[in-house]
Amino acid sequence: MLPMLVLVPLIGAAVTLFLGGERSKYARIAAFAFGIVPLAMCVPILMSGDMSEYDFSAEWISAANLRMGIDLTVDGLSVLMVLLTAFLVPVVIAFSYKESDRPNYFYTLLLAIEVGLMGVYLSADYFLFYVMWEVSLIPMYFLISWYGGPRRHYSAIKFFIYTHVASLVMLIGIFALAFEAASIRGTGVVDFGFAAVNAAAPAFGTLFSTLVFGLLFFGFAVKMPAVPFHTWLPDAHTEAPTAGSVLLAGVMLKMGSYGIIRVCMENFGTNPDVVDVWQPIMLFMGLLAMVYGAYACIAQRDLKKMVAYSSISHMGLVMVAMGCFSETGTEFAVFQMFAHGLISAMLFMVCGAAGHNFGTREIPLLGGMASRVPKYAAFTMFAFMASLGLPGLIGFWGEFGIVYAFTDWAVESDAVYLIVFCLLTLLLTAGYYIWAMQRALFGRLTDRLDFAHVHDLDLVECVSLGAVALLVVIFGFWPDLALHYIGLYPFLGVI
Amino acid sequence: MFVEYTWLVPLIPALCFAIVGFFGRRTPACGGYIAIVGAAASFVIACLVSYDFWTSDAYAGPGYVEEHIKWFSLGGHDVNIGYYVDSLSCLMMLFASFISTLIFIYSLGYMGDQGDKRRRYFAEVALFLTGMLGLAASSNMVEMFIFWEIMGLCSYLLIGFWGFDHPGGEDMADNAASAAKKAFLVTRAGDVCLMGGMFILYQAMGSLDYSVIFNQANLSAVDGDTLALASLLIFGGAIGKSAQFPLMDWLPDAMAGPTTVSALIHAATMVKAGVYLVARCLPLFCQNEEVLLFVAVIGGFTAFFAATMAMNNMNIKKVLAYSTLSQLGYMFLSLGAGGYLICLGIKDGNAELVAAGAVGYIAGCLHMANHAFFKALLFLCSGSVIHSCGTEDMRLMGGLGKKMPITSITMLIGCLSIAGFPFFSGFWSKDLVIETVFEAGETDPLGWVFMIVWFLAIVTAFMTAFYMFRLWFMTFRGEAGPNAEHAHGESPKSMTMPLMILSVFAFGFGFVLLTGFDGLLELVPSATGLWTVGNGAAEGVGHYMGELFTNPYTYLTIALVLLAIGLAYLMYCKRSVSPGIVSKDGKSWLYRAVANRWYMPEIYDQVSWKLGYGVARGVDFFDRDIIDGTVNGLSNAVVGGGESVSKMQDGNVHTYSTVVVAGIILLFAASLVLFFVFGGI
Repeated sequence: MLPMLVLVPLIGAAVTLFLGGERSKYARIAAFAFGIVPLAMCVPILMSGDMSEYDFSAEWISAANLRMGIDLTVDGLSVLMVLLTAFLVPVVIAFSYKESDRPNYFYTLLLAIEVGLMGVYLSADYFLFYVMWEVSLIPMYFLISWYGGPRRHYSAIKFFIYTHVASLVMLIGIFALAFEAASIRGTGVVDFGFAAVNAAAPAFGTLFSTLVFGLLFFGFAVKMPAVPFHTWLPDAHTEAPTAGSVLLAGVMLKMGSYGIIRVCMENFGTNPDVVDVWQPIMLFMGLLAMVYGAYACIAQRDLKKMVAYSSISHMGLVMVAMGCFSETGTEFAVFQMFAHGLISAMLFMVCGAAGHNFGTREIPLLGGMASRVPKYAAFTMFAFMASLGLPGLIGFWGEFGIVYAFTDWAVESDAVYLIVFCLLTLLLTAGYYIWAMQRALFGRLTDRLDFAHVHDLDLVECVSLGAVALLVVIFGFWPDLALHYIGLYPFLGVI
Repeated sequence: MFVEYTWLVPLIPALCFAIVGFFGRRTPACGGYIAIVGAAASFVIACLVSYDFWTSDAYAGPGYVEEHIKWFSLGGHDVNIGYYVDSLSCLMMLFASFISTLIFIYSLGYMGDQGDKRRRYFAEVALFLTGMLGLAASSNMVEMFIFWEIMGLCSYLLIGFWGFDHPGGEDMADNAASAAKKAFLVTRAGDVCLMGGMFILYQAMGSLDYSVIFNQANLSAVDGDTLALASLLIFGGAIGKSAQFPLMDWLPDAMAGPTTVSALIHAATMVKAGVYLVARCLPLFCQNEEVLLFVAVIGGFTAFFAATMAMNNMNIKKVLAYSTLSQLGYMFLSLGAGGYLICLGIKDGNAELVAAGAVGYIAGCLHMANHAFFKALLFLCSGSVIHSCGTEDMRLMGGLGKKMPITSITMLIGCLSIAGFPFFSGFWSKDLVIETVFEAGETDPLGWVFMIVWFLAIVTAFMTAFYMFRLWFMTFRGEAGPNAEHAHGESPKSMTMPLMILSVFAFGFGFVLLTGFDGLLELVPSATGLWTVGNGAAEGVGHYMGELFTNPYTYLTIALVLLAIGLAYLMYCKRSVSPGIVSKDGKSWLYRAVANRWYMPEIYDQVSWKLGYGVARGVDFFDRDIIDGTVNGLSNAVVGGGESVSKMQDGNVHTYSTVVVAGIILLFAASLVLFFVFGGI
């Protein structure tokens, strides 16, 4: 089953690629069909009592002293990310059904991104993990530079360099891990498998652990992105097509935080000396990203750029949660990743729709839109409210759990005053969203738009948004549906 | 047996919300009747639940009923979802659902000309009612907080109801949108404090269930400073929601919403949520008397401060908004002073002080219910006047008493009640509040603070009577103003019926004190177990009458009230005394300061603009020019001086791969150096 999760989108990408020219009207149907299949395959995985029965292992590169396998697994940490990927891909394919510029390439790139994302979340081998990481990067680069806005080349290159440099640093860390683990085990075979490295992890030296944690952490932190390595994100989002933004914010950023939990914390999180060094850094970076990102949002004029900065702020919450190195922290870091994946998908869909349907995303050019485009206004409000953490919607529980985990840490460390930064962020988050709504949706009707070309969301767009909104509400009412799966994860990186 | 169905009370309006929200356009009055039926059904169930709870022996023993199921687990403890019924939640459910039903009926007439917009209106008020009733029925603070925020959302949506497509023009739409924003953000500032308090409490106690955290055995096990911090933060939430100083300025602006919304949300129900929260958490607050002193001082100061701003305002709704703030201040004052006495009494083992404090609690809760009746009545009357005159400016009204007899008389009842005229409902609760504060003033060593607050409270009583009758005389007596001449006359039956029903309660609800109401709402402290509200011993019939009328200070208050009414009569009805004497024709600094709301809006704007947008611009500059500038500069430097950003925008992958490779080599070298240098030590 697990290899099929990677292969089906790959086949879909190949099939869609050949539906060019006259057949291009079938491209979106084929892409949607291939996008739905992995989602359907998620159902038995979610229903099964023991997810380890789906583990898959095959030899890939197996030399005398080297082993890189195609090992795939799914557990409590990754299952929600897999579900998120499988869910968002068909949603964005449907949402961008109007794409008319070489549609076959467009949908091929989307499915190719899914291949990489699935591979990252499923792989149980560090080398495969790295390869898949890069696989997800390249189609995104082309998606931005072919289908993006006016400054797409600059943004695409910036995105590529930032994340590629980061992943090369990460690769050094992965090599260090595998070789050190091999020398500790003394079998002479450098095994890149998660299990092999994990088994040797307790014997890693403190200095080695501290440094390699740093290399890997840098690689993941750029992807998350953490301040100050974040400036690629607003540019990439501003220029990327809506579908690209949704996948970028919805699932790709989570690769960073997933990597921190999966690689850094699982291998080094139980070594108190390493935690002593990196915990303050992670908490500082997290709090900084939260407050800094929230403030940056207030100053933005472009709706999409504002939402991009809000992603930085919300991923800062995830960083804080991971920085607590506690079970609650990790649990809600994963929950927040899932929640933010759904909510940011909605956010980028509505902001993208502003660009398509009104011709501009500049807040000062909009105003009083609620009277002309009621459906659009309703979905925008819903998405903004979900993102600012309205109780009863999924975003609230992520914030709630994380701030609690942080309070727990702060009280134990005699630093309760630090929760002020969390609370300030919650206030600022409400501030920029409510202010943006006031200026864009309410108040006097703008006279700077040509209303002949303004149209509301159509049926397909409403259904796509509605599907995400439904999940936001369901998980918001009953967070245990998601927490149940996260609870299956053994929380390896926690003391 | 009915108590088991408490969960239906908030659920029914939630279903109405869904039905009206999705299918409202196809139903009569765009969902109006569905909302009314839902609210009425909730009221009936709330009555059955309360009747069952108050009469059945099964519940008298524990004094509360709690049922819950596990929701999810957080940090190794369970967060539950369920209901908690005691006298306080019964009172809250009863008056909220009753007043909502009446206001929904009134809305049929008031919103009758709004067409399809009524669907949105009725869906939102139904959701609001869910929040209010859910808040009352919640069994723990997390659940309470969710309903608390749902109310905040509905308040935001309904203040901004005319935030676009305003019938009065684009300026009014801007105004409503801005008021909605302000309301949401200012209350949000309180909400994040409340969240912080909840987290600290949860961290310390491992639960947020009322039945656990208000158990004295559990409270005693926690460090006092932690509890004080948690109490203060929780009170911060109450300050935001109930618009107390300094988070008060949003409520007058919130009058930009429809008048029915002002009556329902910003007078009768939602703003009581803060009072309810403090009343509910009083066992927690009672662990530290300083916290209660703070509550009382904030309440007393707000009561006075808000009353000053009502003195010279010309907008009929804003006067009522300030009087709401002022009356809410009384409630906090009452709870603070009562809790202070209970706290001292427990510490000293003095049962008399505890009993005196319990009166403060009863007075606070009674004033909460009384105020809901008379303030809903006053707002609905003002709505009826506005509906008829088409203006909110009292200078354009006048002489409406003959054209609108029902509105005029019912509003007079409301004014007498809020002013504290003897035997009207407001009189009982307000005078009990003042009496409690006076008793707290006789304690050592901080009694002098309460004495100051007591003085503010009686001055406020004088001011309340004055500005309410100023309002009434300016509206209904004297010569007809320009808008009053063209007034339509009395409003339709669907609007006057609720007024008449409410005026009965505004007059008579205080008499529940004679029927054992005080016993139901007695906060019963426990040395080792759960603090409960209810099953206390009721005082005999006539007890409070005797107590109030044998207290000389009651006569002082009554005299002040009569004096104020007389003064208002002379100034605004007979016009034999000109208000200009006091205000120096609007030139005195005091008059101008008050007319400018003590410059609060400017201070709010300046602070939020500087701390919000100012810092944001700095961050944005830092982001663009420092971080991105460094990154771009660095890449340019590596690429080689002159080949700059323009090259970068060409997407020349070769140069960038050079940068990448160079960077990798550098980083790799650096890490090797680090490894071998430090590894060798």
